[in-house]
Amino acid sequence: MTWDKEIDEIQARRKLAKQQGGKAAVDKHHQKGRLTIRERIDTLLDKNSFDEIGEGAGVPEYDAGGKLTDFQPANFILGFGQIDGRKVIVGGEDFTVRGGSPNPAGLRKSVYTERLALKYKVPLIRLHEGGGGSVGGTGNDKARRPLGDPVFSESRFVPLAETLSSIPVATAALGPVAGLPAARLVASHFSVMTPNAAVLIAGPQVVKRATGHDMTKEELGGPQVHLASGAIDNLAEDEADAMRQISRFLSYVPDNAWSFPKAITPTDKIDRCEDALASIVPTSRRQPFQMRKIIEMVMDQDAQGSSFFEMSRNYGPSLITGLARLNGESVGVIGNDCMYYAGAMTATAAQKMRRFVDFCNSFHLPIISFVDEPGFMIGPDSEAAGTIRHGTAAISAVLQSRVPWACVQVLKAFGVAAQAHFGPDAYMLNWPSAASGALPVEGGVAVAFGREIAAAEDPAAKQKELEDMLAATQSPFPRAEGLSVHELIDPRETRPKLIQWLQLALNARTETPTPYLTGMRP
Amino acid sequence: MQIKSEIAGSVWKVIAQEGAELAAEDVIVILESMKMEIPITAPKAGVCEKLHVREGEMIGEGQLVATLKL
Repeated sequence: MTWDKEIDEIQARRKLAKQQGGKAAVDKHHQKGRLTIRERIDTLLDKNSFDEIGEGAGVPEYDAGGKLTDFQPANFILGFGQIDGRKVIVGGEDFTVRGGSPNPAGLRKSVYTERLALKYKVPLIRLHEGGGGSVGGTGNDKARRPLGDPVFSESRFVPLAETLSSIPVATAALGPVAGLPAARLVASHFSVMTPNAAVLIAGPQVVKRATGHDMTKEELGGPQVHLASGAIDNLAEDEADAMRQISRFLSYVPDNAWSFPKAITPTDKIDRCEDALASIVPTSRRQPFQMRKIIEMVMDQDAQGSSFFEMSRNYGPSLITGLARLNGESVGVIGNDCMYYAGAMTATAAQKMRRFVDFCNSFHLPIISFVDEPGFMIGPDSEAAGTIRHGTAAISAVLQSRVPWACVQVLKAFGVAAQAHFGPDAYMLNWPSAASGALPVEGGVAVAFGREIAAAEDPAAKQKELEDMLAATQSPFPRAEGLSVHELIDPRETRPKLIQWLQLALNARTETPTPYLTGMRP
Repeated sequence: MQIKSEIAGSVWKVIAQEGAELAAEDVIVILESMKMEIPITAPKAGVCEKLHVREGEMIGEGQLVATLKL
């Protein structure tokens, strides 16, 4: 006697699992221009590195003799694999089976994902496409009353929340993603969506019945909505681009919160001093400039271009956030974009700042801050958005940081909001264009000296005179004289200065890396 | 292609003319917002088919500024 029969059955079942929702469902999925979950996993991972978990899980049908007659595979595919030779865990709904709405085995695999990732402490990637539960429940036995989870079972949201403090999580929306999968999608440090994806709490029919809004799923939750809402970080051109962005994001972060990010061998020169930096900030304060160009000139460049990888560009766009390399080391980068409300801190920019700074602290990424902050956005819309609370929460997150900070004051640093750009005990560099104070001259003079200006013979000339006088007091030279900054520098020196500092700051770390747990914030 | 303003502000200068050919990055209008001159540029090359704003006008976030024929 041998086990050949059973071994054959294992092979047969593996074959059935690979059929997913069947040829017709797979063809229909391809016709929509989408890959199946197995094809997605193959696109993401190093070749032949997928090591599946629970391949045999599914919904079987047996005949009276106990012989398997049909098998619907679990519609969540899960397993380990490698990206650039590094171990990761990956999972995603199989849309070709029940539109990704979980069958019982699919649900079990899906909720197991985070526990596995936490146990083995490797980066987690979820590739989402599918709906949540349906009114009919997840069971296939209509005759029985549905059973909920036992009262003593742990909520699936506990491990979901814990992953964010423990391991890097990157997710993608690659089609319609609604309900629970949408919640899992945003429980991530980095998320990306394709142009034909939609992210929804509830789909169009449910919305129409409940609220009367007659909208398509794309209108409700397409990229134009969720890149600006901040629910999703980046847009991908297509599925392959989504996988490239996820791989790139992961390249900057450590495997888990118990380890530091790994440096790569730098190919860029330490002393690359770009001449354009000396003139990029216009001397007229009315003229804007491109902060991204400054970031790209200072951070590492290689044959592929800049090492700067921007995240959440369309959300809170007066603030720029992203990851980069500086002499091969991973860093978080923030900067103001004066093209949006002079770079002012809006409620959304403040939330973006808090989330990004907490992320950098969670994974031990030093922060390089390029400052051009005119202050909080003012006016009725800004008040109504609760900007002051979100802004104060951002400042708290920044000043409770445990990672090294370097701050390059490029131009403005005004008002309370400026505090959100200078971490504790930061390395402080000022450019000659740096200007600091309680209020920008342009806004403050007219208010503070209103009566004096109105009483003057030539009010416009008086205002100009006062503005020029006060602008001189905002100069960076007195701050350098008083050692209020470490150095006032030629902008071209920014890169070598930052690299020298970063090496010192990294060498001075003595504590073992651990998860970042924060207290209450405003 | 509809060119919309991503910020609120007043239209300080209208640079492009209707019917003019624009290269990518060419300035269409300059807004004044938060005491700064913020250009709105053509994302792609095309012909400026219609301008929807006038100098001095206050515009809001997402407001249509110009229509570009690609």
